[in-house]
Amino acid sequence: MNAPDRYERFVVPEGMKKVAYERDMKIMNAATFTIQREDHTIGNVIRMQLHRDPSVLFAGYRLPHPLQYKLVIKIQTTSQSSPMQAYNLAVTDLDKELDHLKQVFQEEIAQKQSEYY
Amino acid sequence: MDTVTSYTRFPTVRIRELKDDYIKFELKDTDPSIANALRRIMIAEVPTLAIDLVEIETNSSVLNDEFLSHRLGLIPLKSERAMEMRLSRDCDACDGDGSCMYCSVEFTLNVKCTSDQTLDVTSHDLISSDPSVVPVDNNLAQDINGFDAPEARGILIVKLRRGQELKLRAIARKGIGKDHAKWSPAATVAFQFEPEIHINEALMESLSLEEKKEWVDSCPTKVFEVDPQTQQVVVVDAEAYTYDEEILKKAEAMGKTGLVDIISRDDSFIFTVESTGAIQASQMFINAIEILKTKLDAVRLSFDTEEADDQFGELGAHMRGGGM
Repeated sequence: MNAPDRYERFVVPEGMKKVAYERDMKIMNAATFTIQREDHTIGNVIRMQLHRDPSVLFAGYRLPHPLQYKLVIKIQTTSQSSPMQAYNLAVTDLDKELDHLKQVFQEEIAQKQSEYY
Repeated sequence: MDTVTSYTRFPTVRIRELKDDYIKFELKDTDPSIANALRRIMIAEVPTLAIDLVEIETNSSVLNDEFLSHRLGLIPLKSERAMEMRLSRDCDACDGDGSCMYCSVEFTLNVKCTSDQTLDVTSHDLISSDPSVVPVDNNLAQDINGFDAPEARGILIVKLRRGQELKLRAIARKGIGKDHAKWSPAATVAFQFEPEIHINEALMESLSLEEKKEWVDSCPTKVFEVDPQTQQVVVVDAEAYTYDEEILKKAEAMGKTGLVDIISRDDSFIFTVESTGAIQASQMFINAIEILKTKLDAVRLSFDTEEADDQFGELGAHMRGGGM
């Protein structure tokens, strides 16, 4: 009776921004990103990639409640970089890594299939 | 602006087995979070086609309408077209009722049992309006006489008795597993961390042959073996190790702690992907990578969010009163 529609888990409603940014008032170079309608699938991946950046002092993600379909990522960087820069860099690097993975996989498939014939 | 540094990894792939609906491969030099993300996407977010709306004209079978519709929804349909198709709710070509050719495929089913024998209504009786989207049939084997093997009958939907009839029209739409499990293309997707086994040779030498055999047998799966010629314990199948610690406990019980050291490498994974037949297993993995890239694109910060930030954005600098 109170259950939300299933597509609520992945459809962002009209007027809502997918990514919201909020600067942390009390800590220098820290910000919180709220991503709507996403879950551990990209949360963990972005967090892992942020950890590889030496200018990132703190990076973590959480899902505040399992019935609220949003993801909160908190980033703190050194003064050399900014949370936004670190976030964008992480997303760009992941994009490149996935491009590479796709290419390698397709080559392997093509090679394996040619072995059959 | 300082130099753009990059922390990209370059994963490698080696395929062990490749079949139409099954693939086993090794993925190296990447992180567990990426492996897990791809696994989650393959199960829940790779789109396929499945019957979503059923209009029943006649149903005198023993199963009621909604039971039948549920079964029809679970039939896997060949969904190579699914990635290019639009979702029904986003489609503007039809008038919002989600039944135009760009976002849906229509099926009809029309059977009546006229003989005394029980008639099996199977997925073969579903007639599609698009020849590339048909129910999956895994049993197209032919027996030695060249006839279709008895199993090549398709997926059973309902059985009809003499006089019972079933006539319906069904519309299949694109969807993802997160919405309903009927849209999940994955039968099973699993990955394991590759184990690294180091045998302490010096300690191993201090065991007699019977003790070695006893120790090898204490492992529930066949990981080790005593080589008959050299009388040494060798690793026969490292991946069969299921991380139960029986051999470690046995070594302790024999007084030889540290006989073997097993660690799981956190950058090397062995993926096993099995699909229902809706999409080819290898294509499923490629689609999963595409979808992960699309998701990452969607969460990139928009330019105006960056600019409006009052600490780092340039617009913010203006608002603060000049900046530099």
